[in-house]
Amino acid sequence: MSAALRPDTDRPRSAAMRSFEAQWLAHSADPLHEWRGRSMDRFLALGLPSSREDSWGYTNLRGFAARSFVENPSVIATRSANGAAAAGIEGLQVASLRQMARENPGVIAPHLMHASDVDMQRWALLNAALFTDGLYIKVSARVTTPLVLVHSSTGSAENGVCYPRVIIEAAPGCSATIIERHESGVPHTALCNSVTQISLAADAQIEHYRVFNTHDEASHIDTLEIRQHRASRCKQFTVIEGGGLVRTNLEVHLQQPGAEFEGYALLVGHEARHVDCANIVRHDAPNTRSGQTARAIASGTSRVVFNSNVVVASGAPHAQSQQSSRGLLLSPTAEIDTRPQLEIHTDEVKCVHGATTGRLDPNMLFYLLSRGIDRATAQSLLVYAFLDDVLTGMSSGDTRAAIEAALIAQMPDGEVLREFR
Amino acid sequence: MLKIVNLSARVAGKTILNGIDLIVNAGEVHAIMGPNGSGKSTLAQVLAGRQDYEVTGGEVSFENQDLLALAPEERARAGLFLGFQYPVEIPGVNNVYLLKAALNAKRKAAGEPEVDAYEFLALIKQKMKFMDMSESFLTRGVNEGFSGGEKKRNEILQMLVLEPKLAILDETDSGLDIDALKIVAKGINSLRDPKRAIILVTHYQRLLDYITPDRVHVLSGGRILKSGDKSLALELENRGYDWVQAGLVA
Repeated sequence: MSAALRPDTDRPRSAAMRSFEAQWLAHSADPLHEWRGRSMDRFLALGLPSSREDSWGYTNLRGFAARSFVENPSVIATRSANGAAAAGIEGLQVASLRQMARENPGVIAPHLMHASDVDMQRWALLNAALFTDGLYIKVSARVTTPLVLVHSSTGSAENGVCYPRVIIEAAPGCSATIIERHESGVPHTALCNSVTQISLAADAQIEHYRVFNTHDEASHIDTLEIRQHRASRCKQFTVIEGGGLVRTNLEVHLQQPGAEFEGYALLVGHEARHVDCANIVRHDAPNTRSGQTARAIASGTSRVVFNSNVVVASGAPHAQSQQSSRGLLLSPTAEIDTRPQLEIHTDEVKCVHGATTGRLDPNMLFYLLSRGIDRATAQSLLVYAFLDDVLTGMSSGDTRAAIEAALIAQMPDGEVLREFR
Repeated sequence: MLKIVNLSARVAGKTILNGIDLIVNAGEVHAIMGPNGSGKSTLAQVLAGRQDYEVTGGEVSFENQDLLALAPEERARAGLFLGFQYPVEIPGVNNVYLLKAALNAKRKAAGEPEVDAYEFLALIKQKMKFMDMSESFLTRGVNEGFSGGEKKRNEILQMLVLEPKLAILDETDSGLDIDALKIVAKGINSLRDPKRAIILVTHYQRLLDYITPDRVHVLSGGRILKSGDKSLALELENRGYDWVQAGLVA
């Protein structure tokens, strides 16, 4: 009997937990079975996160617990940003994770062992146990053409769940831009539990985007783990502009001196959407730098949560970190919660953070109105201006244009904004 | 063009305007002077339609329309322009796009077609040259990182492009050095026209060395205490506002 089958407590498992366990039992063994089994054991022992836990304080998963999930397949379409086949991009190896797991499990297995912060990574454990396929991407040159990954679910089962996984490794001195877009046209897929892991070797550079533009009723839990070696640089954008419930986790490990991480979050609460973005950046080596810039807007009855935590370890003197989080409330029934945190275990660090939430500046609004601009247009313009700090950081023009188009569709009188961009 | 009858207004529950009467005809330049806190800026903001300023009484007609019934953007499109005392910075909204959108909003309201993009650029470059502004203003956010003087010049630039029927310039002269003051005055004078009117709200007489007003009014305690021709401004400069206020008591 596998350890996974032993209940950890006497209390009865929820329907959701029973269904995850049933999925595990239905999986056929592959060369990664041992690692997957450990992940499943741990997940079952921990159970679903409760809102009593610190990092899940704002997102209640009780609605999930009563549901019996069935596995839905998902696919990841790849292409280069200029529309050509991904296979044509020189310096990029894009392989099926299923195939790699069979033929070269030694490459994949180390990635399944991480999950260092259990509190945040619980869903990553479940993904490690149950992912059936995904992509393994090796960057072995300075790649200039961005790679686009489009995730979508293809299943039609009620209460469907899918587990896409992407593993990206950048070799020393190599660089690439990788854009993951999550799109679900299929309303049946109730939950997507995705994981992406990025490792940057010395001097590597990655610009990574994860863009969530899913169905209004879809729930999405995404975990992104980034490990950075000496003098590597990672620029990361998290853009949530769709979905019913979207929870993103980000865990960055600056493991060697000189590693730099720059993270941006653009979080759009619209209608009844629930957005919860939880970041943790760990400075584990000297002279590491991180920056986090979050801009959240909330309209309707939406709720947007942004929690960022920076942990500077005792062995990481001269670390520098900056956190800037700003929220803009567009309706009296919307809510934004933002909480920057710092945990410093050494001296000689330079860490700053700031967080504000407010409404549109009445002085700015009046200025635009006094120039004859329509109220709706003026409001949309100011919202756009508010998001500018994140949008202008994007090096990929195509990606930025696609993100803007989706934003415009959700804004009052947004059409007029096209003229302004 | 503009007729204000017994206008009263309050801000945050406090009465600031206390029965203003004023008539401004086309072709005229009026200067409204007065000590700090007399209600000069409040009057300018109320005329432009600022919504947190509550009108408690009186009437204002502009070109035979009930001005107070119009939203701020409608007032602008009808030809009213407010030059702000403290123009706000709006990073992320391009200075020139705003101006183009403002011009098009006005043209649309007048039933005219939108301005051609190339013609607009040529127009704005010409006006910027006239106002001695660098072309870097074209690519910057609205007033973003502008010095006090640059902000005021930008207000006048907007006025020149929008060609309002009535321009209300709220302390456009404050914070300007003498060279900037001359350029701003040149811009304002260039708009003088028998079909237009200008209201200069100012604390000091020095702007009036460059722009000769037809009428000068002294505002104090939310009322116009005294009106006269340009010599009133000189007298105020010599004798101070206390003289007018004391005169009322006596």
